[in-house]
Amino acid sequence: MTTAATPILEVRGLAKRFPPRAGEAQSPQVLADLSFRVADQEFLTMVGPSGAGKSTLLNIIAQVDGASAGEIFFRGELIETTDTAALNPGWNCQIGYVTQDDNLLPWRTLIDNVTLPLKLQGRYNEETAERVQALLRATNLTGFERYYPHELSGGMRKRASLIRTLAYDPPIILMDEPFGAVDAQTRGQLQQDLLRLWDHGRKTIIFVTHDIGEAIALGDRVLVLSRSPAKVIAQHRIDIARPRNLGNLFKLDGFGDMFEAVRQQLQ
Amino acid sequence: MPASRDSAIPSVGRAGAALHRPHRRALAPARIPCWRVYLDRLVVLIVVIGLWQLSSLYFGTIWFSSPWHVLTRMITELRSGELVFNAVYTLKAAFYGALVGGVPGALLPFVLRRRPVTSAILDPYLAGGYGVPKLALAPLFILWFGVDLEPKIALVASIVFFLVFFSTMSGVNAVNAQYVNVMRVCGAKERDIARHVVWPGAIPYAFAGFRIAAPYAIGAAVVGELISSNRGLGFTINSGATDFDTTLVFVALVTLTILVVAINLLVARAERWLLRWRPPQQGGSMRVMGT
Repeated sequence: MTTAATPILEVRGLAKRFPPRAGEAQSPQVLADLSFRVADQEFLTMVGPSGAGKSTLLNIIAQVDGASAGEIFFRGELIETTDTAALNPGWNCQIGYVTQDDNLLPWRTLIDNVTLPLKLQGRYNEETAERVQALLRATNLTGFERYYPHELSGGMRKRASLIRTLAYDPPIILMDEPFGAVDAQTRGQLQQDLLRLWDHGRKTIIFVTHDIGEAIALGDRVLVLSRSPAKVIAQHRIDIARPRNLGNLFKLDGFGDMFEAVRQQLQ
Repeated sequence: MPASRDSAIPSVGRAGAALHRPHRRALAPARIPCWRVYLDRLVVLIVVIGLWQLSSLYFGTIWFSSPWHVLTRMITELRSGELVFNAVYTLKAAFYGALVGGVPGALLPFVLRRRPVTSAILDPYLAGGYGVPKLALAPLFILWFGVDLEPKIALVASIVFFLVFFSTMSGVNAVNAQYVNVMRVCGAKERDIARHVVWPGAIPYAFAGFRIAAPYAIGAAVVGELISSNRGLGFTINSGATDFDTTLVFVALVTLTILVVAINLLVARAERWLLRWRPPQQGGSMRVMGT
């Protein structure tokens, strides 16, 4: 498995087994010998069946959960993975995480949610405030700054959750099916928004989904994960030119074949 | 086939409508206009006062006084300043007690949150302390603190502390682990988590504790005064009862009821302002009073 010369993130032989529950001799293995690399500024998508351990993988990379075995390197530096007491969530704000649920704090307004990471990091100043405003404009959230999350639509909350992470600009962003729980139309809009934001300032993104079309439409490269215990069973380079118009993907060369190939591998 | 909507077996043509009706009813209960609620509350009040009047006619005013007697007596007592003086004394005991007991009760869960061992050690003692009938401690508090305000404050505090503590503790335990993880990833330290995630999430629970505790606080202050005091509404009740002055007893009771309802309204207002981030339908059952 080779990618660009300088992987920003490398995962080697990652394995995960949750502690057994009462009455169980051993719990099933969630990840087994999982390895891959991500190049700087690459948009990597991972597609795998539901329950394959995709969220677990991202939790381990984000350091909110420990692994049972394996190593993760961030720019060549070893990240602690197995000792749960020594975990450093977000690796000093280098690894951002957009979770499946928007996880906006319900007691903070949209703007207070989006700026909170910057304030926590002591980086909220004129420049970053301007950046936040630009992101709000780019995602059509201007005018809703003072709204509480329960007053926003599902799609707006997703966008807010996305720009909360983009605002503090971590070099790597993990995304765990961030557009899972919205209707198809909103979802298409969110995907297009994400691609536009990514085209503006390219970051490294690891985007996990169970939707094959989404994985191909967004990514530079698709990794196909097996059923649990998850490991990488195939990878595909996506050569569809950018910027991509997600409206007519099926008309693009090779999309249908790629879709079919991935679908076969997932079975 | 007429009137199938009321028959048990709907006709084929109306089956769809019949199937949908109960479902719709379950989703959207009939909206009652606001003025209707206030009007009906007034009706209930009139009925209660009417029943009171009837009982005093039937059993005699010596046992039940009467609404009119109580009202006129209340005005006299208000004019003389006696009622206000005693009510303020009771309120003082309840308020200081709620402060002395409630503030530590609301803060202790935050101290215990990061100390599971201390938490586990204290757990049975806190449960035991909660279980002790606090009113039974009143004689002891009087022995220790005398007969003025202090024993009443102690009694109120001992009740309010546990109510607020257990309520806030459940809020601290109910903290959304996902919020905590997401905040850690974007740079939050332990102190930030407590301040931005745990505290705001626990405030509704602390409030619920205070709302439950408010009537108990007044009640405990009154009981303290019943046992030993020369002022306060509990003293008013006591002196009324010993003089066979039922009217005075009822004046004190009505005043206490008004006070408790007013305090509840105030807490509800403060709660609604502080918790304006919540979707309005949430916590509906907690808002019985003051809506």
